[in-house]
Amino acid sequence: MNPLIEHLKNKRLIWQANQKKPCEMLNDNALTGYPELDQALQGGFPQQGVVDIDSPLGIGELRLLMPSLKARQNQTNKLLAFVATPMQINAEMLAEYGLTLEQVLVIEPSTADEALWSAEQCLKSGCCHSVLLWHKNLEIHQVKRLQLAAEKGNCIQFMFRQKHQISLSLPVPLAMKLNAKQQGVKVQITKRRGGWSADPFVVSMHTYWPELSRQHQPSNVISFPQSKVG
Amino acid sequence: MKPLWLYLHFPHLHLDTLFKNAGSKTEAEQPLVILHGKQNQIVQFNQAAANLGINSNMGLGTAAALSQELQVIPYQYELEEKKLQEIAEHLYLVTSDISFFSPNGLLLRIHNMLSLYGGLQAYWILLKKQLHYFNISYHYATGQSPFAARMFARTARDMITEDSQQLQKALLQCQLTDSELPEKTILTLRRVGIHQLSDLLALSLKDIAKRFDIDLVTYLGRLTGEFHHPMTYFHPKSTFHQYIELLYEISHTDTLIRPIHQLLNALEHFLKVRDLLTQKIVFKFIQRDTDPLELEVGSAQGEYQAKKWSALTQLRLENLSLEAPVYGINLTTGETSIRAPEKADLFSNSQGALSYLQLISLLQAKLGQSAVKQPMLIDDFRPEIANIFHTANQQSTFSASYLQALRPAFLLPSPQPLREKAAIVNGPERISTGWWDNQLITRDYFIAHTYQGQWLWLFKTTEGKWFVHGVFS
Repeated sequence: MNPLIEHLKNKRLIWQANQKKPCEMLNDNALTGYPELDQALQGGFPQQGVVDIDSPLGIGELRLLMPSLKARQNQTNKLLAFVATPMQINAEMLAEYGLTLEQVLVIEPSTADEALWSAEQCLKSGCCHSVLLWHKNLEIHQVKRLQLAAEKGNCIQFMFRQKHQISLSLPVPLAMKLNAKQQGVKVQITKRRGGWSADPFVVSMHTYWPELSRQHQPSNVISFPQSKVG
Repeated sequence: MKPLWLYLHFPHLHLDTLFKNAGSKTEAEQPLVILHGKQNQIVQFNQAAANLGINSNMGLGTAAALSQELQVIPYQYELEEKKLQEIAEHLYLVTSDISFFSPNGLLLRIHNMLSLYGGLQAYWILLKKQLHYFNISYHYATGQSPFAARMFARTARDMITEDSQQLQKALLQCQLTDSELPEKTILTLRRVGIHQLSDLLALSLKDIAKRFDIDLVTYLGRLTGEFHHPMTYFHPKSTFHQYIELLYEISHTDTLIRPIHQLLNALEHFLKVRDLLTQKIVFKFIQRDTDPLELEVGSAQGEYQAKKWSALTQLRLENLSLEAPVYGINLTTGETSIRAPEKADLFSNSQGALSYLQLISLLQAKLGQSAVKQPMLIDDFRPEIANIFHTANQQSTFSASYLQALRPAFLLPSPQPLREKAAIVNGPERISTGWWDNQLITRDYFIAHTYQGQWLWLFKTTEGKWFVHGVFS
């Protein structure tokens, strides 16, 4: 390395894109639970802020978050809030995965504005560890507001949107795009603070949900030996 | 210990109550009188009215002739009484025995309080501070008997002393008309040459009893403190209840928040001095021509601060529509509880503004009680029944001891017929139950993977029909 650059770097006059804030460096306990994803995110989900997830419904997008949600719940005795879920959330599944139901809050606002309001209140209250929001039309200023609220309350927000609703890039620290895959989900990180978007990769869910992932089975069609072709 | 009494006389209680409510400068410039309707007599008036030459005992006609800008307010006995109650509640913080002389006087038994506060002067300074809160005019005097103190205060002696000679001297200086004797008795006394109270007190009670009726004897005995004067003392209420009448009618919910603030401040004061919290407050908006509208505001944690309550109330008001203009607001509290100190972790790096219960109250205030839920499970194989959502922050007795394997994250509101191709990945799992409560189901559940990559939870009925019941997310 050029000694001049080295000198400047030692004096902390150069900012490098892969540098993170000290608080973000400490997040070794924010691991997602999936080695592939942890590697791509260099450690795991951010401790606070908004995570934008673009995913069709029912491909395993919630399962992708479950290990980290459980880890966050175990660390604190704070709440996990579901805001405006697309369908009724099934408590059996949450309990089955080991979440404490007393620490789960389900909020069913009647309008989209109320959903945003509820999410913001939950985020900045400081008594939720994670807020999951399903929303259709988000605008940049709304996301900025949620981001500030999340920072204030030291809370993480996962925001689920569907493909056709996405038009512009939102000011979030992390944005992901999920696609269905037989073994699990295909993840493409479209935006990450202090990082570059990498090629899409597949997160296998076989360790957690063997029933809900289909391994690539070797094709059981055996070609008929050419020699015997009569 | 010699008995000592303190009497507080509020000459303009009605006027002062209205003044405090209005609180604007223009009121001071405009002549204002309180008129006793039945007697057609002015009972209270402000400085501007006094400058015009209006005095009490004038009729409305005379007063109106003196000024055309005169504002006349009908006298309300209840208003003064209510205010008196309020004052008594406030004074109760420093003194124990309070007795009412409605509508404008309070009698305090103070000799038993003096050793607590270290003397009469120190006690009086403290009491004055309490009275200062109300910003009303008052006269005061001590006396060796309730009637003596009352007489001194009503004649505006404004003296605080426990010296018995001085008090005796003051008693002898009084006129007969200062006392509360009926005019007829005073007239009879005049006829026999008794003009001063000192003349009357010079006579022995025995002699008076021979010539005059027993009422006069009783009065004199109580005045000098020879006779025992029974009193009923005030006991403070344990719940808050306050009513304010608005000076003008309000038909917008936005403008309602100002008078509500005033009520909430009074509530905060009430709760704070008692170190209480309340979990529910109830507003009653008195509307013109229609039934009163009730608004309940709840806080799961319990609050006393006006700021917190006003934020919650504002959220409720947003969803409230008034049918008719409001002219009065009534505020009552639900049950109160002793305030417990909040336990916050001093070392956690980020501290939120709210507690769990406060957050739930906030959400419920805006979205309604039923929109904020907590999931619960009960032991049942039927997924529709196993899931129970109850209103957040209710203690629930439900709990499931047994968890089923592999359930979807989302359940459809009701099973829908399967309309797409899907490959079965896992199953069947037969659920056949409910024969005891007439909701019999017999279903074979499967997990299926569609070609779009969705994971569905399907079931097949005994008739061989396929339904989607949930989505694995």
